[in-house]
Amino acid sequence: MRDYWLSKLFFDLQSPPLADEYRADRNAVLARYPLKPAVHAAVEADDVAALSRLVNPYLLRFYFLMAGMPEADFLRRIRATASTPTGVSRG
Amino acid sequence: MAELVGVYAASHGPMIVRNWKMLAPAEQESLTSAFSELGRRIKAARPDALIVISPDHWVNFFIDNLPAICVGVGEAHDGPPEPWFTEFPHRKMAGHPPLAEHVVSTALERDFEPSVSYKLALDHGFCIPLWKAGLDPLPAIVPVIFNDLEPPFPSVKRCYAWGDMLAEAVASYPDKLRVGILATGGLSHSIGEPDMGRIDEEFDRDCIRHFENGDAPALFDFLNERLPGAGNGASEVRNWVAAHGAARGRGFDLIRYDPIPNVYVGCGFASWTLG
Repeated sequence: MRDYWLSKLFFDLQSPPLADEYRADRNAVLARYPLKPAVHAAVEADDVAALSRLVNPYLLRFYFLMAGMPEADFLRRIRATASTPTGVSRG
Repeated sequence: MAELVGVYAASHGPMIVRNWKMLAPAEQESLTSAFSELGRRIKAARPDALIVISPDHWVNFFIDNLPAICVGVGEAHDGPPEPWFTEFPHRKMAGHPPLAEHVVSTALERDFEPSVSYKLALDHGFCIPLWKAGLDPLPAIVPVIFNDLEPPFPSVKRCYAWGDMLAEAVASYPDKLRVGILATGGLSHSIGEPDMGRIDEEFDRDCIRHFENGDAPALFDFLNERLPGAGNGASEVRNWVAAHGAARGRGFDLIRYDPIPNVYVGCGFASWTLG
């Protein structure tokens, strides 16, 4: 099951002007998307493990590349999810 | 009547472009050699039009509306929108509406229900093989998008039948036209998954053997069992299966296969000898 608005955010960020805006002011862009609080928190925290369970893997990979996470860092985090079965925390 | 003059398959990993300067010399040599031979074979067949089967990497479609299969019937297609692929020389590519519409009508007659688009942007999945194979000028392009990215996917058996239908559509097209079919994507790779970067070389080589053997039911059984474990990108082997169907399951000829770690992909290239 995909999280629609998270997927929509990642999909829309393929637009270079929106990606530029996002990198400059992430919160201003996030405010336009009705993300659930736990999902919003996962985005703010760059929580690869949590977000990986909510979107298509290609969009996930695109998002972190666009957001500027180094490839080695992304690989380390996504590979670590193999042993972390939990999703977005509900706290 | 139109003639099917060639059927081909090629990997299309974006790192082939994005990461080219970081590839090991042996990796560059492998890809350059494979694309060069692929291009030589396509050019020798002199296609007027090329039906290109590729996934859409979230360029034209989203989960609002995600077709299993879409045929591009437009007069022209936009070039790749990826900002890292500005080297691709064509911002517009000519389509072939009459052939595309004939593919759609043939599909409907054969109980397929493809989606149709009059305006598509063709992403790296289409354009890396076209560019690296040196096809310039390009033949007219009829894009056929298979959903290989987001489940649920069309079955491999259905993809084979689609390829068979494509060959029938070409054979029944009333005008004189030389038509090729190019499937892109695969073989094994994993993108954005916990095993990202893993290449399942055993799967790839078994897969190639099944294409060579030409036993379609055995190929379906193999893929139904092993495709889910070969990484999400391996789903693009469905496109190869369609090409195999277009060749009626015979004549597979491997051009080259190498696992390319810096591309994250088991890179395969093939053509089918048409009898």
